[in-house]
Amino acid sequence: MNKEIRLDVRNLSKSFEIEVRKSDSALHGFVSLFKKKIEKKKIEVLKDLSFTAYSNDILGVIGKNGSGKSTLLRILGDIYKPDSGKIFTNGRVVYLSGFGQGLNLKLSMRENIFLMGSILGLSQKDIRNRYDEIVEFSELQNFVETPVFKFSSGMATRLGFSVMIHCLKHNYPEILLLDEVLEAGGDINFKKKAREKIEELLKGGALVMVVSHELEDIKKYCNRVILIESGNIILEGKPEKVVEEYINSFK
Amino acid sequence: MSIKVGWYKLKSILGLSLSLAKSYFKTRNEGSYLGIFWYLLNPLAFFVIIMIMSQIISAKPEKDYQLYLFLGLIMFNFFLNSTIGSTKAMVNNSGFLKSIKVNPESFVIAIVLEFIFAHIFEIIMLGFFMLYFKVSLIGLLFYPFIFVFFVLFTIGISFILATLGVHIVDLNNVWDVFVRLLWFITPVFYFAYENSFLYKINLYNPVFYFLTIARDFLIYQKMPSIFIIIFAIIFSLIFFVVGLMAFVKNKNKFAERI
Repeated sequence: MNKEIRLDVRNLSKSFEIEVRKSDSALHGFVSLFKKKIEKKKIEVLKDLSFTAYSNDILGVIGKNGSGKSTLLRILGDIYKPDSGKIFTNGRVVYLSGFGQGLNLKLSMRENIFLMGSILGLSQKDIRNRYDEIVEFSELQNFVETPVFKFSSGMATRLGFSVMIHCLKHNYPEILLLDEVLEAGGDINFKKKAREKIEELLKGGALVMVVSHELEDIKKYCNRVILIESGNIILEGKPEKVVEEYINSFK
Repeated sequence: MSIKVGWYKLKSILGLSLSLAKSYFKTRNEGSYLGIFWYLLNPLAFFVIIMIMSQIISAKPEKDYQLYLFLGLIMFNFFLNSTIGSTKAMVNNSGFLKSIKVNPESFVIAIVLEFIFAHIFEIIMLGFFMLYFKVSLIGLLFYPFIFVFFVLFTIGISFILATLGVHIVDLNNVWDVFVRLLWFITPVFYFAYENSFLYKINLYNPVFYFLTIARDFLIYQKMPSIFIIIFAIIFSLIFFVVGLMAFVKNKNKFAERI
């Protein structure tokens, strides 16, 4: 079968400038005027990184903390801008990180569904169309008018996950970037349900890039894995092989 | 960017701004309509204090001073609350900006919208005051036109502050002091007579122009001078365009900086 290129990344570099001083406050800035020039430290997070991904790929991205995985996904998701390099994308890109974002604890569950839906880019009409499905999936039908601060953390996770996953489906992403979201939380029943939803998403035909520390999941779902270290891809290939190399690097 | 794409983007920015503003408004009101009292409490408290003070110091205020004062207070309060809120608009929403591709303009516009909602209630209260003091309500018909330009000016300043707030963590404290100084410079509770020292200073103060136009139309039912109107329009458009441009130029770096 001929695979269509969905994502092509060429010589991508990104660095962050960190000012070596105590704070960014106006008061501190004013005092600094009378001091010598502020020292700046440049940290290269991604260095000349290139790879290609195709439609139907489920591409795992693994690496130690601070290796540049999340920065890579954020650049691909157009949240950060690269310093140099080229990115070719063919299709709608959606970046997803965390499920609890956007919950306003003082508002009711119903109000929160509409608010989160808006933040995720849905119109009020679209949210109304998805509303029943979201409530049913979360199994929180009896708490629709309850303020979220009265929810247990498990209930809040269920609500956050339900809204995210249903809004995501509505956006029909062709390139889906998942940043450590394979584990949904909640009780065993809900975890199972959530896992089924995520699997549905992974097998939905979009190109999926998954950043995760859950190596068993990476082996289970991905057809290809890249290992990043200090902003470089040091290994790319079959999941078993790359994961094994990664584990060995700790020994 | 084609017109269709631009229109779609504008619609989504305004849609999200409205949803966020509603949530801010409900949150502040603790989910009750009685909560609107909290928005009205501040101008009402100031109003009462200044009225008592003017009695104590035996100042002889001009005609319809109560309306002059209340309108000044609620208009300045709208500006003060919107701009102070905007200094932290990006930092307070860093979670969203770092995890979802979202239009950051919405977070600024939502704050201004929240205080537009509150201002509507203040204007209704002003209407009751006008009835009580037997001032014709006809001037209120002109207020939306004046307020549109005041909102544009406020949004422009808010965009600038939101952009600066990404780089200066304590901007809210600095702005809080500045805007309170501006409160004293602006003729909110006193009169700046033409050619007086205070009048001359206030010619450099954009807020003065909007207050003067609103008071002339609503309270004194007279046409403000054309020079005041032209400058109010120029200030509002310049600040709106400059603020928006500064924000749009820098917004790609917000997620990295906060």
